[in-house]
Amino acid sequence: MSARRPLDTGALGGASSSKNTTDAVISDNAAPCAVADEPSSARKQPPPEKASDVRRRTYVIVSFWLIVLLLGLPIWWRTTTIHRANLPLDEMLDWADGKACRPVFPLRISIRANSLQEQEAQNLLRLTQHALDDLNDFSGHHLRLQLSPPAAEETHNGDDGAALTIRLIPGESTTSTLDPYAPVLDITYPPNSIPSPTSSSSSLATYVAGQLRSTFAEEQAIISFLLSNNSIPSEHRPQGLTPEAAESLSKRTTRSLKYAPTYHLTFSLFTSGPLPSSWDIEAAIDEFMKPVLNVLTPIHNFTIDTQVQLYASPGVQSQILSKEDLSSFINAAEWPLSPSIGGAPTINFIVFVGNQTILAAPREPPKTEDGLSTSQSWLVPQWGTVYLLSLPSDTTHVSAATLRQPLLTFTSHLLSLTGTPQSGSLPLRLSTLARIRSADLLLRASSTLGSLARLALALPSISIPGSVADGVSKTMTHLRLACETLGGPEGLAHARIAEAEAERAFFEKSMVGQLYFPDEHKLAVYLPLLGPVGVPLLMGLLNEIKAWRKRRRERAERGAEKKKE
Amino acid sequence: MRQLLSLLLLSLVALFFAPRASAADYHEQLVLRPLPLSALLASFNFRSNTTLSAFEAHNFRFFPRSLGQILQHAGTRELHLRFSLGRWDAESWGARPWDGAREGGTGVELWAWLEADTDEEADRKWRTLTNALSGLFCASLNFIDGTRTTRPVMSFQPEGNHPNSAMTNVHLLYGVLPHEVVCTENLTPFLKLLPCKGKAGIATLLDGHKLFDASWQSMAIDVRPVCPPGGECVLEMEQTIDMVLDIERSKRPRGNPIPRPPPAHELKCDTAKPYHSGDTCFPADYNANQDWSLSQIFGKTMKGTCPLTDPNVPPVCLQVPNSRGVYITEGATEKKNLDLVSRCYEIAPDTPEFEMVLPRPESSEESGQAVAVQEVVKPETPLLYAERSFTGHGQEHGGVQTILRNPSPDTKVEFIYMETLPWFMRIYLHTIEARIEGQAGSSKQDPLIQEVYYRPAVDRARGTQLEVRMRIPPASTVFLTYDFEKSILRYTEYPPDANRGFDVAAAVITILNPNPNATSPRFAAYNLRTTSLLCSLPTPDFSMPYNVIIFTSTAIALAFGGMFNIIVRRFVAADEGPEMTLTAIKERLRKRFGGLLQKYRGKGG
Repeated sequence: MSARRPLDTGALGGASSSKNTTDAVISDNAAPCAVADEPSSARKQPPPEKASDVRRRTYVIVSFWLIVLLLGLPIWWRTTTIHRANLPLDEMLDWADGKACRPVFPLRISIRANSLQEQEAQNLLRLTQHALDDLNDFSGHHLRLQLSPPAAEETHNGDDGAALTIRLIPGESTTSTLDPYAPVLDITYPPNSIPSPTSSSSSLATYVAGQLRSTFAEEQAIISFLLSNNSIPSEHRPQGLTPEAAESLSKRTTRSLKYAPTYHLTFSLFTSGPLPSSWDIEAAIDEFMKPVLNVLTPIHNFTIDTQVQLYASPGVQSQILSKEDLSSFINAAEWPLSPSIGGAPTINFIVFVGNQTILAAPREPPKTEDGLSTSQSWLVPQWGTVYLLSLPSDTTHVSAATLRQPLLTFTSHLLSLTGTPQSGSLPLRLSTLARIRSADLLLRASSTLGSLARLALALPSISIPGSVADGVSKTMTHLRLACETLGGPEGLAHARIAEAEAERAFFEKSMVGQLYFPDEHKLAVYLPLLGPVGVPLLMGLLNEIKAWRKRRRERAERGAEKKKE
Repeated sequence: MRQLLSLLLLSLVALFFAPRASAADYHEQLVLRPLPLSALLASFNFRSNTTLSAFEAHNFRFFPRSLGQILQHAGTRELHLRFSLGRWDAESWGARPWDGAREGGTGVELWAWLEADTDEEADRKWRTLTNALSGLFCASLNFIDGTRTTRPVMSFQPEGNHPNSAMTNVHLLYGVLPHEVVCTENLTPFLKLLPCKGKAGIATLLDGHKLFDASWQSMAIDVRPVCPPGGECVLEMEQTIDMVLDIERSKRPRGNPIPRPPPAHELKCDTAKPYHSGDTCFPADYNANQDWSLSQIFGKTMKGTCPLTDPNVPPVCLQVPNSRGVYITEGATEKKNLDLVSRCYEIAPDTPEFEMVLPRPESSEESGQAVAVQEVVKPETPLLYAERSFTGHGQEHGGVQTILRNPSPDTKVEFIYMETLPWFMRIYLHTIEARIEGQAGSSKQDPLIQEVYYRPAVDRARGTQLEVRMRIPPASTVFLTYDFEKSILRYTEYPPDANRGFDVAAAVITILNPNPNATSPRFAAYNLRTTSLLCSLPTPDFSMPYNVIIFTSTAIALAFGGMFNIIVRRFVAADEGPEMTLTAIKERLRKRFGGLLQKYRGKGG
C-alpha cells in the first residue's frame, strides 16, 4: 500500500499542478521524501490558507445563495403559482348554513268588512291576530292582518300586495267560501257574533283564524319542508311536520322540475304502426291548455313544439303494463325525445297510440279523484307524462275532441311538474307557487355558494378566475335583496338572478376542467435541473459552514492557549 | 343517353313542382343502376316537406323535430350536410348520380346559409349549428372551427327559393372535415330522421354492414325552402344515400365474409380464348355476370312500403335495358318507361316483403361478347374528369397538381375550382399555373384561368381559400399546378397519429350551367370532387420536451458544477488532501458499521 502511494500522488500532483498554487507544487515535489520518512504517519497538512482567500470563498458562496434566494425563488414562485381570486369564503359558508338570512314570509291579509264599524272591525282584527299567533308555531311563515279601507272596494283585489283578501259579509250562519278566480275568502257571519269591544275572545275571530290557517297549511308545510331539508339552523325550523307529511312532500318535490324561467313543452304523438299520422294538436292546445299556461305566465314562460313519430316501438312489448313496466316503457334509445337546445328544460307530453293498458296494482285501488290517471296515463318525475290512447286501428287523423282528455291530464300533470300546491283555488295556488319557488331558489343559491366555498377550500390547487369572484359577489347582493323582499314578486326576481349567477360561478368552464399536472411530472422536470445544480450549491454551503465552525473553534483554542500563557 | 336521363329527371322535377295541396308531403324512391365491372349503384332518395308556417309554429309532422329546432336555433335558411366514403371511379362508372349535387368529399362536409347581421353573429350561429349537428349525427362536426371554415364566394349558390329581401343578411359558411370516418353511428341518426324510420319502405334495405362496405357511398341531407308558383312555401328536406356496391363482395354470406378462391368449376372463364382449357382460365368480363337479388346484395328483403309516401312515385326503379327479364314478388307491378332503359315497380301497400331477382341474361352463355355489352346501360360520360395529387419531395416544399380533362369533342367547359387548404400548407400563389397538355402555356386571347379569388391563411386561425374560375377548351387536358410550403406545427398541435399525415380536403369543382333557364334552373350543371390528399408534415420526436429538459439540465449542471467548484474549492496536493482510496473508504465504513456487523454476527452465532 505504501509502495504504491508515491506513484499515485505523483501522478495526481502532476495533473493538478498546473492549476495549483506554487505552494502546492512545492509540496508535490517534497512528497516522496515525506512518504519515505514516515511511512506510517497519514498525511501532510496543506499549508495554511490566506485569510483573503477564505474570505473570498465565503463571499462567493453567500452571493450564489443570495441570487438563488432573492432572484430564483421569487421568479419560480411567480411563474408557477395558480391564480386564485379572493372569495368571501366565510360569508359564503354563512349563507349555506342559513346564518346570513332567516327566511321569513310576511303575508299580508287584508280584511274588508264594509258593514262593520271601524271600531268593531279593529277589535275583530286584533282578536283574530291573537288567535292566529296562538295557532302559529312557525315563525318563518307569518300571517299579518290589516284592515283595508272601505274605499278600496272598487279597486281590484290584491293590488295592495295582500296575499289574500277576506270579505266579511253579514249572513245567516258562519260559512266560508274560497273564490275560485281571485284570491278572496268570503266569510259570512251571523250579526250577533261580532265581538264586543271589551271581550277578549270571540268565536268569529277563532273561526277566521282557523280558516286562514287551513288555507295556508299546505304552503306552510312545503316551506317548512324545504327549510328542514337545508342546513338552516334548528331554531328557525318549524316543528310538527309528521313523517308521513314529510314523505308525501318529499315525493312531490322530487317529482317537480327544477325551477327555470322558461320551460319547453314537447307534445309527441307516438304510434306503434303507420297510423295515425296527423293530429289537431294546435287547436287542442289552444283550447285545453293555453288558459292554464297564460295563468302561469308571471312565473314561467313556455315554448311549445309538437311532433308525430310513426313505427315507435315502446320499451315494453307486453299487452298489459304492470307498475314495473312503466319505468321502461319509454324507449329512450329510439324515440327522438332529445331535449331542446335552447337551454330551457324540456317537459315531454307523449300520446302513445296503441292497445296497451295499465294494470292497476291490486293492493292499491285507484284513487277516486285521479282514477283516470291510473288507468291510462302516468307521470314521469321531472320529465313529463305518457298517455296511452287506444284508437280504432284505421284512424288516420286524431281530432281535437279525441285529444281533450289527454290534454286535460297533461295540464294537471304540468301543474304538479312545476310544483304547484294541490289545494286551494288556482290564484292562491299560483301565488303560493311564487313564494315556494323564491324560497327554493334562495336555498338553492345559498347551497351552491356553500358548495363553491367548500370546493375552494378542498382543492387548494384549483385556480379561481376573477369571473367566479364576480359571480359570487353578484349572487350575494341579489341574495341579500331577495332575503329582504321575500314573499313579493321582487323577491322571486332577485332569487332567480342569484340562483343563475351562483350556478354560473360554480360551473365556470376553466374550473370544471381542472388542469391535471401530476407530481411525477413535476419531479421529472425539476429533478434533472435542480439535482446537479443544487447538490454543489448545498455541499458548498455545508462545507463552508463546517470550515467556519472549525475556524471559530481553532480561534477559541488559540485564544485559550494565549490566555494560559 | 343524357337526353333520356334528363327526361326522366325532368319528369321527376315536374312531378315535384306541380302544385299539390295535401298529398306528396313525403316520398321515397330507390333507383338501382347496374354499372360496369360488377358494380351496382343504389340511390335512395327521401323527400319530406313541411309548410313554412307549420315549421315556424314548431309543429313537426314529416320534418324531424330534432333537426328542425337546430335549424331554428341557429337561424339556418338552407343546410347541406354530406357524409362520404370511398372514391367514385368516373373512368368506368361514368357520370355521378344527381349530377354530383348530392355528394361530398371524403369525410364530412357542411355548408349552410345563416341569417345574421354581422360576421361575428354568423360565426356564433355557425358554432351553435356545428355543435348541435355534431350531437345529432354522432360526428365530430364540432371540430369545424375557424381554421376549417371558409366563406366561398363563387362556388355555391342557394338551391332554394329565398325572397330577395331575406338574402341581404344571409351568410354562407362552408366547413369540411376530411379526416372524419363515416360509419354506422352516423347512419342510425340519419334513419331516425325518416318518418317511417327504418321500419318500412325502402329504408329497410339500409344496413350499416352493407352501406359502409360499399366501394363508394355518400349520405346527404339538404334542407331548403321551396316556393312552388302559386302555392304555399314549403321547407323541403331531402335525404339521399348513394352507394356503389361491389356485387361479388356483397353476395358474400354475412356469416362467412372471408374471401376464398372459388372452386375450379365455379370460375367464370372466357371460353373464346384459344388457350382456354381445363387448367387455364382467362377471367370473363364482369359485365356478363351481373345477376343478383335484393336480399343477396342488401342482406334482406324490402319490408313493404312506407304508408306515408306519395302513391304517384314508384318506390323502386331499375335501370337495365328492357330486354332483360326481372323476377319480382307477387303483388308488385312492373312499368317499363318509354326510354327503354328503365322500369319502375309499384308495390301494393299490403305486400309484406318485396324481393327482386335480376337473373343472368340467358343469351350471354352462347353468343358471348357481342350481346354482353347490352346487359348494362352504358354509363353517361361526365362533363369533366379531375384528378389531384401531390408532387415534389421532401419535408419542406411540395406541389399540388390537378389534371382536368374535358372529354367533350365540341363544347368547352367553364367551372369553378375551389380548394380549402389547412393553414399549415402555405401556398405560393405566384406559382399557380394552368397549361394544356402538349402546349407550352395558355394563350393570351382565351386564358384558361379566368378569375382567381384568394384569401390567404392566417396561422392557427384561418385556412387558405382558393377559388379559380377556369375555362377548358373541348377535348383537351389541363394541368393546374401550384407549389406550397409546409410549416412546422407546435408540439401540441399534432394529432395522436401524427405520422399518418394530415388530410387535405377534396377540391370542389362546380361546372357552371351555360344557360340557366326554367327547365334547368340550377346554378351548377354538374359537381364533382376530387379525392382528398394526405399531406405528411415533418413529425417531431414526441419525447422531445423531456429530452430537451434533460439535455439542457445536464449542460447547465456541467457548466455550473465545474465553474462553482473552481471558484469555491481549494486545490491542494494529493497527499495533502483527505485520503480517498478504496482501502480508506473501506476502513471508514468498517469504523462506522463494524460494531453493528459484529453485533449481528454474535447474535447469528
